[in-house]
Amino acid sequence: MIVQDWKRFHDVLGEKALLLSESIAATTPKAMLRKDYWQLYQSLKNMASGRPEAKGNHGVITAMILDAEGRIQAHLHPADNPMGLPFTPRNRLEQEFYEQAMSTRTPIVLSSDSFSKTGFQEGVVPLFSDQKYLGVVRVRLSIAQLYEKATSTAILILALIFCFVIIGSALGTIVSRRMVKPLTAVTQGLEAVGRGEMTEFSPIPIKERDEIGRLSVTFNQIMAELAEKKMLEEEIAMNEKLVALGRITAGVAHEVNNPLAGLLNCIDTLRKHPNDKDLIDRYLPVIDQGLHRIKEIVHNLLVGLKIEGGDESISIQRIDKLHDLIAAESGDKNIDFIWENNTDQNLHIPGKTEQIVCNLLKNAVEIVADGGTVICNLHQSGPFLIIEVSDNGPGIPSNIRSKLFDPFFTTKPDGTGLGLWIIYRLVQSMEGIIEIKSEEGQGTTFHVAIPVITKKAA
Amino acid sequence: MRLIYFCLLLWLPPTYAATPEQPIRFGLTAVVLTENLRFLDQWSQYLEQKMGRQIEFVLRKSYREVMDLVTAGGIEFAWICGYPYVQKRTPESLALLTVPVYRGAPRYHSYIIVHHSSPYTRFTDLQDKIFAFSDPDSNSGFLYPLSLITEHNKGTESFFRHSFFTFNHAETVQAVSEQVADGGAVDSYIWEYLAIFRPDITQQTRIINKSPGFGFPPIVSRLGVDSATVKLMKQTLEDMDQDPIGKRLLARLKLDGFDHYPDSLFNGIRALANTTKRNELMTQMIATD
Repeated sequence: MIVQDWKRFHDVLGEKALLLSESIAATTPKAMLRKDYWQLYQSLKNMASGRPEAKGNHGVITAMILDAEGRIQAHLHPADNPMGLPFTPRNRLEQEFYEQAMSTRTPIVLSSDSFSKTGFQEGVVPLFSDQKYLGVVRVRLSIAQLYEKATSTAILILALIFCFVIIGSALGTIVSRRMVKPLTAVTQGLEAVGRGEMTEFSPIPIKERDEIGRLSVTFNQIMAELAEKKMLEEEIAMNEKLVALGRITAGVAHEVNNPLAGLLNCIDTLRKHPNDKDLIDRYLPVIDQGLHRIKEIVHNLLVGLKIEGGDESISIQRIDKLHDLIAAESGDKNIDFIWENNTDQNLHIPGKTEQIVCNLLKNAVEIVADGGTVICNLHQSGPFLIIEVSDNGPGIPSNIRSKLFDPFFTTKPDGTGLGLWIIYRLVQSMEGIIEIKSEEGQGTTFHVAIPVITKKAA
Repeated sequence: MRLIYFCLLLWLPPTYAATPEQPIRFGLTAVVLTENLRFLDQWSQYLEQKMGRQIEFVLRKSYREVMDLVTAGGIEFAWICGYPYVQKRTPESLALLTVPVYRGAPRYHSYIIVHHSSPYTRFTDLQDKIFAFSDPDSNSGFLYPLSLITEHNKGTESFFRHSFFTFNHAETVQAVSEQVADGGAVDSYIWEYLAIFRPDITQQTRIINKSPGFGFPPIVSRLGVDSATVKLMKQTLEDMDQDPIGKRLLARLKLDGFDHYPDSLFNGIRALANTTKRNELMTQMIATD
């Protein structure tokens, strides 16, 4: 745009120079023939100084009238260019311009063709009288003003562009910040959800009724609902805890009460017949058995409830030793006992793992029929030790699967119903996972994943 | 009603003021700076007031045009140079009216001036240079330098490389100050006048030759103008130094006043014109022009 403007103004200046030359040329031939040098000079002088509004503005650098032989008839700077003497160009470039000016027979514009303060546009008009060539009028206009104008315009435009860029980016930043701010709040809210801090979430302030505003409203609603849900869940969990506690209490009461009634009965009978040796022989083992049962229940309960302690780690090789123990447990049952340990032998695991494996295997060995198969598979998966204990026993009916880990739930006539509950509690305490895959008549697989303690930590 | 009649009487224009008299036409030449139109207005107003006649200044470029106007009866009075005054005319068409007094005397000089930075110190240094004459009918601006050339038995064209007429003493000073011409001949009165009002121009020039005193450019009347008018004009001009406004106007002109002098005042110019082979030289000039 600046270049276009420059070219346009440059051309206009050329036309102006030509116009000035032509205006001088109009009166020149007569004065030349009359040798009225003073008038010739004055026409140049008036042209150069007669436009005070244009002084310095496209100022006339120089102007001259030369005769056909190139002698000066009038020059705007007479001191350096004495009248009557041949015009002498100062340099090669000037020589070229001079030759062009002297050779042209039609009005032309000579341009310095340089974008600088010293550039010029020269109007050259040949002089004729009755078709005889008399000489030439040369008027040279400076482009300094034009140059300054063009440069200042260019600077102005660049400055404006710069300002617009600055203002634009500042505005962009402000706008994007305003837009991003609610989004950041939403993100922070989502992160809070990820951390499970729904109840501590403070609603996003809503400023605009735009998309983000609506999103924020919806998000706030969701968050409020989630918070409510979480509270409900916590309430439910609390209720469940109370229920479980009630169940345990009821179980303890029931399980302890049953032998207690028998024991009290025995003791009452023995008190009535203190010297009846038969009775003593018959009732003492019953009392002993009853008390042992109570002891066992209490012990198991303590184990189940006091599992928080004991963070010691053991080597995986300790688990391998269970193989023989369990094999011995099977007694006279012919069981195909398959032991697969694919773990790193230097692996260290939580000490409670031993009890878990032991209990699971005991259950499996107990449940399988003669000639059944029990498989214990240990392997690693990422940071977890995976324990899979499978049997091809009768399987667990689907209707009781959900109660399987409840305390005092048992299918065995003499079971306490605390074994699986303890396993479940142990796995939970280690932040592990326990799953059951069971099909009636096909068998059962207990799948346990326990985080491994690294060797270093050990 | 009577009041209205009275008003009507007052409103009636005075018939005696509407005399269809011709204005007195006064020709001015470059002997005086004619560019100052405001001054000329004031002067004409002064003369009108004193003479009770309308005065019209007539300006022309050259002396010759003014002289032609005198001959043709186009003007009644003119302020001309001594040289055209002494030139022989048949029949004689003008008469000496009064002569300005400049610095105590009715005399002035011709200055040969050069640019202040130029090396020229004598008139002969200007040989083969460019010379600016004022007017071909000017004593100080042409006849005197011509006489200097004829001392060397040369014509203007052969003495100078180039010469030209500016038809105006002030412009001759300008031509030299701007170095269009290497030298020029000017009326001392004009140069001194410029030295006061335009010192920036005269400071660029240097006087290398001062002529002997010549009769100051006189004011002439056309023969045939009624003697009463001639007498009134002569009186009015010569009384200017007695009048406060007239004095102020004279001060503007840098003149002491106007006074009566005999025709012999211009004998010096007459002698110069005779000794200079003017006719011959003029023929040369016409041929080269």
